[in-house]
Amino acid sequence: MNGEVNRRTILKGFTVGIFGLGGVISLGNFLEVLTFPNGQKVALAKGVILVDKSLCSGCRICEMVCANFNSAGRNAASLSRILLEKEYLGGDYQPKVCHQCADPPCLKVCPVTALQVDRQKGTYARVIDERACIGCQKCVEACRQYFRPSRPRFDVQKNRAVKCHLCFGDPQCVKFCPLGVLRVERSEKGLLVGYPVIKED
Amino acid sequence: MAPSGGWVGKILRVDLTNWKISEISTFDYVPKFLGGRGLGAKIYWDEVPPEVGALDPENRLIFATGPLQGTMAPTSGRFMVLGKSPQTAPTESFCRSGVGGHWAPELKWAGYDALIIQGKSPKPVYLWITDQKAEILDATRLWGLDTYRTQQMIWKLHGPKTRVMVIGKAGENRSRIACILTDSGDASGQGGFGGVMGSKNLKAIAVRGTGSVIVARPKELMEITHRIQSLFSRKSLKSNPYQPEEKGFKYNIWGGGYGRGSLSLLQGELLDLCQDPSSGYSQTPEGCFACPVSCRSHVKGPDIIKGVAFCAQSYMYLESLVHQPEKGYSKITWQAAKLADLYGINAYELMAIIPWLADCFREKLITEEGTGLPLKEIGSWNFISKLLHQMAEREGFGDLLAEGGQRAAAKLGGKAEKLSQMYYPRAGKFGGYREHWVYLGGFPTGYAVPPLALMWVLDNRDALVSHSFISMLWGAAFTIGQNALTAVPEKIFPILKPVMKAAYGSAEAAEFFRADGKSLNWKWTAPVVKRYHEHSLLKDSYIVCDILFPYLFNANSSDHVGDSTLESRLYSAVTGMEMSLEESYKKGEMLCTLERALAVRDGRTRKDDILHDLYFEKEDAGGRKYLREDLERSKSEYYSRMGWDVKTGIPTASTLEQWDLKEVAEDFQRRKILGQRS
Repeated sequence: MNGEVNRRTILKGFTVGIFGLGGVISLGNFLEVLTFPNGQKVALAKGVILVDKSLCSGCRICEMVCANFNSAGRNAASLSRILLEKEYLGGDYQPKVCHQCADPPCLKVCPVTALQVDRQKGTYARVIDERACIGCQKCVEACRQYFRPSRPRFDVQKNRAVKCHLCFGDPQCVKFCPLGVLRVERSEKGLLVGYPVIKED
Repeated sequence: MAPSGGWVGKILRVDLTNWKISEISTFDYVPKFLGGRGLGAKIYWDEVPPEVGALDPENRLIFATGPLQGTMAPTSGRFMVLGKSPQTAPTESFCRSGVGGHWAPELKWAGYDALIIQGKSPKPVYLWITDQKAEILDATRLWGLDTYRTQQMIWKLHGPKTRVMVIGKAGENRSRIACILTDSGDASGQGGFGGVMGSKNLKAIAVRGTGSVIVARPKELMEITHRIQSLFSRKSLKSNPYQPEEKGFKYNIWGGGYGRGSLSLLQGELLDLCQDPSSGYSQTPEGCFACPVSCRSHVKGPDIIKGVAFCAQSYMYLESLVHQPEKGYSKITWQAAKLADLYGINAYELMAIIPWLADCFREKLITEEGTGLPLKEIGSWNFISKLLHQMAEREGFGDLLAEGGQRAAAKLGGKAEKLSQMYYPRAGKFGGYREHWVYLGGFPTGYAVPPLALMWVLDNRDALVSHSFISMLWGAAFTIGQNALTAVPEKIFPILKPVMKAAYGSAEAAEFFRADGKSLNWKWTAPVVKRYHEHSLLKDSYIVCDILFPYLFNANSSDHVGDSTLESRLYSAVTGMEMSLEESYKKGEMLCTLERALAVRDGRTRKDDILHDLYFEKEDAGGRKYLREDLERSKSEYYSRMGWDVKTGIPTASTLEQWDLKEVAEDFQRRKILGQRS
């Protein structure tokens, strides 16, 4: 009896195990690494900023705190990595965040691989290495094909592109949003977000 | 110490007569005069002699930002409009008017701290300022359009991210009570600078900047901002500051059930519609630039004009509530306020003109035939649309009303003028502003509060535009569950005491009447008002919000003591120049003396710092009266504390020397202002 049970259990375990393993492998393949035609692999970001625009009052503090924090005190909406599209007469406000795309168009086009996945801080955000960026603005254009306005932005003064890097894991726009419009979604497994899941915004 | 942030360094001068554009350095004026109201007052002192009329080409229209504008400092979306005011009556004089919204940061990012507009263009023009350059462009096709439409046209030309200050029909027709408006309702109303802009043939000022403002100590700025947010952002007053608020959550900066925007205070048709999700109407929070509170709401619906709800606009046409009591605050009330916005008429002034017309009609001083207005139905859409149209176009009786309520009343004279005194408290040569002693000081219907009377006689426009003092009274009342109609002063004194001690240096100052309940306590009036003026000048010079700063009353702590160091700490972090609280108060006192000097140069003396008799005759809700001799004694004390001549109210030579205002002293000498009276 013991043997029978054992055999059945083992068989069951095997089947579930195989299916399970297969599932994990296929899902894991799909979730954690996406393979590009050229063979390059990009790990999914482990965090992303989400927006509930119905709460937004359009005060633009998210933009200002971003520029202040990330551009060494140069306060300017043009340097912000989060953008607030505001229709003033209609009273419609849309904070536009970087989606940290699963298949990032910006990262793929960078000719000098300045755009990388941030493994160091563990956010797996798509970040721009300041030292490597040559200011060609290809990432800006690539993003603009799907998302308007483009989320990577061009810092004219320093002649390089800048983009959201989730503030090393603690996004300041989320922290400073007075109305709780923004929040961070985190997952250790990685999040399948942005392009190609959403193709325009 | 040189500033390492804040100001961007240039002031743009636009001469519309010769279409000439030039630049001067901001550092000729700052850091001594800070920015905003202080900077504007100094420019005005240097450039506009008292002989110039408000609507003359030689008058300057000054748009001044401060060091905080264009940075992430909370409520830094504001700027000041200054110049000789056509609204001040009967003598035109220096005045200022603050505007919120999103225009100021764009000007800073475009590379300018301030804008001086002079001369008069031979044809209608608008100004286009972007990234270190400015252009004067033809506005023939914009002339005559309403304020919303003009902005939409300019957005088509220069992109929707351009922010525009614009005048409507009223400004074009040089109404003395025209406002300059931006977006869906932020406006520089008091002072009537829309008329000044119209007199220069300037329809709009469009600004778009992509530059930046340097902050000297960015990390410190973030810390202070976080502190300010923890004091009054809606999110942080929840248990977990990082959780979003639930929808419809009610919170106000003073701790009461104020809700979103002033519309929530006014029950009626429109609020019901906004709260019904299926109606197609909605009310959503609308924030000025970098504001942690977003006190205003954006109201929209299928058959109403979209826009922002403020207090002045919300309360402008309360007669309609009486006209249609079953509907309460109705669509008509809203549409009336928005129609005033489209024409560019100062809604605050209409709050005096409409009830005054009603009074005059009741007393049979004006007739429907004589005015061409349906005066029998004040409160209806028919009346307000005709009135606003007449005023904007200066047709018939509207031509007189476009001169402002006080000037119109003086023209009618006799009893009509007498009736207007209830709405225009300040007697003397420098009145012209609607009464604004809100709430507890809603005299003659509320309670008499001595500092309010002294603030009123001394200001060069309506007093209490700096809400700090009144916010404190409100906050204390709200804290113990009272509201505008049920507030009892005795009950709020204990709450006010520690707050007054921290803010004004005396707990006793909280008791504005004596223990017997019969007479008012004037003892602390002068020092309180002096500190109030310092706060007010500083707030308008760094430029932060009228309602939130200085933060004197904390609704959410046990002793309710606020924190008045916030503004100077913001200033220090942004500019990199240390500013202690004591030092900042000195600065405030200096700027207050400079503003006084400007009024003095226009002929103001102690005699003009008075109220109409009416305000000494009526009893308040507790049976107390303002006594003229008490007010006069407080004035004397105030003058001597400020170092002004007690007999004349003119800053003395030694005071001017102390504040390093040499040019003022010399000018006074030349004009024999000092010699004559001291």
